[in-house]
Amino acid sequence: MKILAYTMAALLLSLSANSYAASAFAGKYKAAAVCSQCHGIRATSSEAPFPPLAGRDELYLEKALKQYRNKTRRSDVMNNIAAGLSDRDINNIAEYYSRLKP
Amino acid sequence: MTIKTTINKSLLAATIPLLLSSGSVLAKSGSHDMHKLYEENCASCHGSDHGGYLAPALNSETLKGRSPTALRSLIMTGSFETLMPPFFGRLSDTEIRGLVKHLQSTPKLANPAWNIKEMKKSLKIYVRDESKLPAKPDFKIDSMDDVIGVAARGKYGRGQGSEAVFINSKAHKVIGKVATDTAAHIIEFNPANERWAYVKTDTAEVYKVDLYTMQAVRSIKTGLNGPAIGISRDGKYLMVGSFVPHNAVILDADTLEPLKQFELEGIDPDGKMVSSDSGMIIGTPYADIFAIALENAGQVWIIDLKDGFPVTKIKNVGRHLHDAFLSHKGKKLMVASYDDSIVIAIDLETRKIIKKLPAGCVPHVGGGSVVKVDGRTLGFGTNFGTCDDNTVVSVWDLDTMELVKQVPVSGGTESPAAHANAPYVAVDIITKDRRARTIQLIDKKSLEVVKTLDVGGHAYFPEYSADGKYLYVSAGYTGDEVVVYDSKTLKKVASIQMESPAGIFSRGRVKYMTRGLSPDEME
Repeated sequence: MKILAYTMAALLLSLSANSYAASAFAGKYKAAAVCSQCHGIRATSSEAPFPPLAGRDELYLEKALKQYRNKTRRSDVMNNIAAGLSDRDINNIAEYYSRLKP
Repeated sequence: MTIKTTINKSLLAATIPLLLSSGSVLAKSGSHDMHKLYEENCASCHGSDHGGYLAPALNSETLKGRSPTALRSLIMTGSFETLMPPFFGRLSDTEIRGLVKHLQSTPKLANPAWNIKEMKKSLKIYVRDESKLPAKPDFKIDSMDDVIGVAARGKYGRGQGSEAVFINSKAHKVIGKVATDTAAHIIEFNPANERWAYVKTDTAEVYKVDLYTMQAVRSIKTGLNGPAIGISRDGKYLMVGSFVPHNAVILDADTLEPLKQFELEGIDPDGKMVSSDSGMIIGTPYADIFAIALENAGQVWIIDLKDGFPVTKIKNVGRHLHDAFLSHKGKKLMVASYDDSIVIAIDLETRKIIKKLPAGCVPHVGGGSVVKVDGRTLGFGTNFGTCDDNTVVSVWDLDTMELVKQVPVSGGTESPAAHANAPYVAVDIITKDRRARTIQLIDKKSLEVVKTLDVGGHAYFPEYSADGKYLYVSAGYTGDEVVVYDSKTLKKVASIQMESPAGIFSRGRVKYMTRGLSPDEME
């Protein structure tokens, strides 16, 4: 059920990504659904062992996500999460987080 | 056994416990460590007794047949659209595997004892001489009613992010933060003395907070969990109730010393004698009493604040009572009943049920809201449930006790906010998908949803500032901010960062009694 709901949400999101020019907008929802659980939006928890993403360099974020996706950078959790992201998702997420002020 | 020499005796005496303890450590080391790990990381939400609280029960019964691999990955990554945080990097893989095994083999534990004796022992004093505290706030504020308190949960429900955050609701600036160790849950303000507030945590500690200096002066552990806390109109007594164990206690609001404990049990509407969780506890400007809902027993008890604290029991109120709000100068009490989807009006003067009113599906009224519109006193009731597409907010006429309208909303709701000076009643949509990012606004006059705001995170617990000019909403879970809107234009005016904000409590509430009423209702 959860996977189905997730797939549906991802499908809806990718649809809306196509219909909006501003990719940061689509990135916002993708980030909220996929990344924020660990990395937070503007900041990560003071108790959490995860690096914050807000305000990081866009190209760096994009490159890192793609490396996690093709497993040239290893992390059990990140390899799994990045595997579910399209190029477009990655661009949107990188654009969104890079524009955020931490 | 015949031991002759004293040397042998004492040697043996010293060795036996050593052997025994090392033996038992060896035999049970896994389960003992895992219990500790559970207590330190999981228990504040899932219940020390493995019986669940804010989060599901985790025991051999509830987890029967669940895949250990799936449970392991859920603990690692956390669960989206819930408060469950990711434990990857915080717990080792060995610990997570051990925890899963421990949970799947541990039954729900018996209700532990937590009585006046344990409570007294847990009393902590942080400021010994309160008379030396400054006589006025050490910050600038027009009125202490402008203070809004937010229960910041912290991502892990404990640790550095868990604190009560106090905000100047006119300036939208943080005045101070009071660390609470585990997640702050409820904030009550002393109606008789503006300097004191009380914060109850997920793990049932009550902190007495000095708002003038923004620090805790005392704390006491009143139970293992449960949200109920109320304060008497004279500010002299607190009453606090627990889910675990099944009791409630009256405290001296000044010293936090426990005065009397109540065992919560009674005959439910189906004729069964049951032990009961504590539902809402409320003090009222109407009289020197507390009202407490016994969740499972379906009874409301009225406790008179005089010698011996005598109890009047109102039976057969409803099946699974939870929260409540006041109206008519605090004389009428509206209690939500989950299982029969009704809200019950009780007259606190005659101590009898006035009427059982239809609600939506699984009513959860939060703090409730009452507004005067065109001469009528309208009460607004939110509903957790979304069964049979019956997703509504109920509106009742509290003068005549009739249902006025079931206002369709986009999902389940848990807390309404209203203010005499604000045109809309805000309700939080909590249905677990993108709708949870939103709150909806019901026009007081047309009684229809006129606007949906995308707040972000898991948006919940709307609250108006004391002057009604601003609407505060928690963008909770991973939203990590409190968002402030202009109450008329609904334009975003400010954002205040904190970790996983939840309940928002205006000190103005002591003036209104229930959100939405104007202070002159209290005359």
